[in-house]
Amino acid sequence: MRDSTMDNNDKSKKQAMKQLRAERKEMIKAASARMKIQKKKIEAIKEQLNNGERTIPEVAEATGLEPAEVLWFVAALKKYGEVVEGEKDGSFFRYQLAAGLSRAE
Amino acid sequence: MAENKMTFDALVVGGGIAGLQAALDLADQEFKVAIVERDASIGGKMIRLSKVFPTLDCASCITTPKMASAAHHENITIFTYCEMKRLQKLAGGFSASIQQKPRFVDELKCIGCRQCEYECPVYVADPEQGGFSARKAIFVPFSNAIPQVAVLDVENCMLCGKCEKVCPTKAVDYLQQPKDFSIEAKTVILATGIGITPLENKVQYGEGKIPNVITALQMERLLAPHGPYNRVLRPADGMEPDSIAYIQCAGSRDKSMGVPYCSRVCCMYAIKQAMLLSGALPLADVTIYYMDIRAFGKGYEQFYQNAKAMGIQFVKAKVARLTEGENGAVTVHYESQEADGGVTSAEHDLVVLSLGMVPDWNPAGYCEVSTASDGFIRSVKPKLAPTLTDTEGIFVAGAAAGPKDIVDSIAEAGAAAMSAAEYLTVLNSRRRAVA
Ligand SMILES: Cc1cc2nc3c(=O)[nH]c(=O)nc-3n(C[C@H](O)[C@H](O)[C@H](O)COP(=O)(O)OP(=O)(O)OC[C@H]3O[C@@H](n4cnc5c(N)ncnc54)[C@H](O)[C@@H]3O)c2cc1C
Ligand code: SF4
Ligand code: SF4
Repeated sequence: MRDSTMDNNDKSKKQAMKQLRAERKEMIKAASARMKIQKKKIEAIKEQLNNGERTIPEVAEATGLEPAEVLWFVAALKKYGEVVEGEKDGSFFRYQLAAGLSRAE
Repeated sequence: MAENKMTFDALVVGGGIAGLQAALDLADQEFKVAIVERDASIGGKMIRLSKVFPTLDCASCITTPKMASAAHHENITIFTYCEMKRLQKLAGGFSASIQQKPRFVDELKCIGCRQCEYECPVYVADPEQGGFSARKAIFVPFSNAIPQVAVLDVENCMLCGKCEKVCPTKAVDYLQQPKDFSIEAKTVILATGIGITPLENKVQYGEGKIPNVITALQMERLLAPHGPYNRVLRPADGMEPDSIAYIQCAGSRDKSMGVPYCSRVCCMYAIKQAMLLSGALPLADVTIYYMDIRAFGKGYEQFYQNAKAMGIQFVKAKVARLTEGENGAVTVHYESQEADGGVTSAEHDLVVLSLGMVPDWNPAGYCEVSTASDGFIRSVKPKLAPTLTDTEGIFVAGAAAGPKDIVDSIAEAGAAAMSAAEYLTVLNSRRRAVA
């Protein structure tokens, strides 16, 4: 059971959050727009890495993204455990989705 | 922080290696010390390096224990993510007005589990990794940061609420406000360190727009075990470079960059990185374009000779400009100062600029300490007592007083602590005599 102080706290927090959202409106809008674009790019990259091991230039070619950007996302996805590094292919390394790897095993 | 005013014997501004060493030396003598650090973690430049010359010790392995000793010392209190707004002289001491920036995470509740970071959907270029990888809008600064407390960056936050929901300790606090407090101390040590000249400042070197031209600090990250790729790759396309070049004095001894002085450590860190690259990429060619090599410290000349023996190419030359080459290569146009001389060029897969060092902080407007013509904090007795500033009771240590390597920064930090301890002892005995 909730007592009334709790309800009051909840209410004032809700009010403060509403105000914060209003203050940060522009920043929130810009961050959300960036996130949406990132999400699309990440999906496109992951789709490639789901089809087996790929190098950065291969993913760039298939997705139409700049190789530097592909590498940036792959490095980030690797850091958060979603992508793993595979074999070397010439001067490049191959990468694959960590989930794809566990499926194959 | 319950109280608004705290009292210590000494205040150390800057939690880099110099500040930490000075604080530890004072605290071991039973003085109560406060460290104020602007960053979310202590450790300064050194904790961001891969290995350090001339011993090639792993930077993290020797810095982390120092950071931990300071953090756990009963006589040291560390205030991170804090700006010093003003340092005023009072009768018998100083008062510093400090503002702690909001982390939007409760420092006492956060356990550094990074669940918030994994959950947050916004990726942001991570300056701690030279921008080569990403962190999230809420993040723990880096794996060996102290304290291990998350920080939320409002500019990239959508206020989606995911981090708050996932946090097991309810530490996320979107409504956190800056906290103002003051620290009173009898003596102050300034250990505010160095920054590097921006890559964008030099037109001849491409103003940061040529792919695969990076800074030496970025190379430190590529070489570090917890680097962005966990190996050395070209940032423009992920290729393992076969040929890497260093441009020395890229921003030092250069009036056009406002840095007429020698930055002292760049020759040595370039040689160090070249050696580490030879280890990481045994087949790669490493070339260092230099005006002259300044291997000034104990064992440093031997270090340089070892690098030559390892096959690292040293080309005495003045690099005029860099241009974009074929397939991500960088063309180095230079005037050779070797036997046959002449203007020529060479292509490399990756080019590293050994940028100049500049002061990280200017005391103007914050406290009554003056700087020298190079912008570093002025030492009034540079030969006999290099840690003395022009304000009695305020000492300077490490790279804040001028470009310096770690050995010299630590030695000077010890000297600053000694001078501060002496100052405190005299002050205390005078007080006792009056009483
Ligand atoms: C690429 C590179 C490689 C290097 N490699 C080596 C090496 O191999 N061996 C070696 O001996 N040296 C090396 N150095 C030099 C070494 O980094 C410095 O000697 C050392 O970091 C100096 O320590 P410091 O504590 O004086 O300054 P810093 O490490 O710069 O620390 C200063 C601290 O003060 C904080 N600060 C600044 N202003 C304020 C303020 N107003 N309020 C609160 N806090 C503030 C900063 O955030 C920072 O944490 C290298 C430097 C570079 C750039
Ligand atoms: S509220 Fe902000 S920091 Fe937290 S998960 Fe959402 S976007 Fe990330
Ligand atoms: S804020 Fe919460 S989720 Fe994030 S690191 Fe701290 S304890 Fe973990």
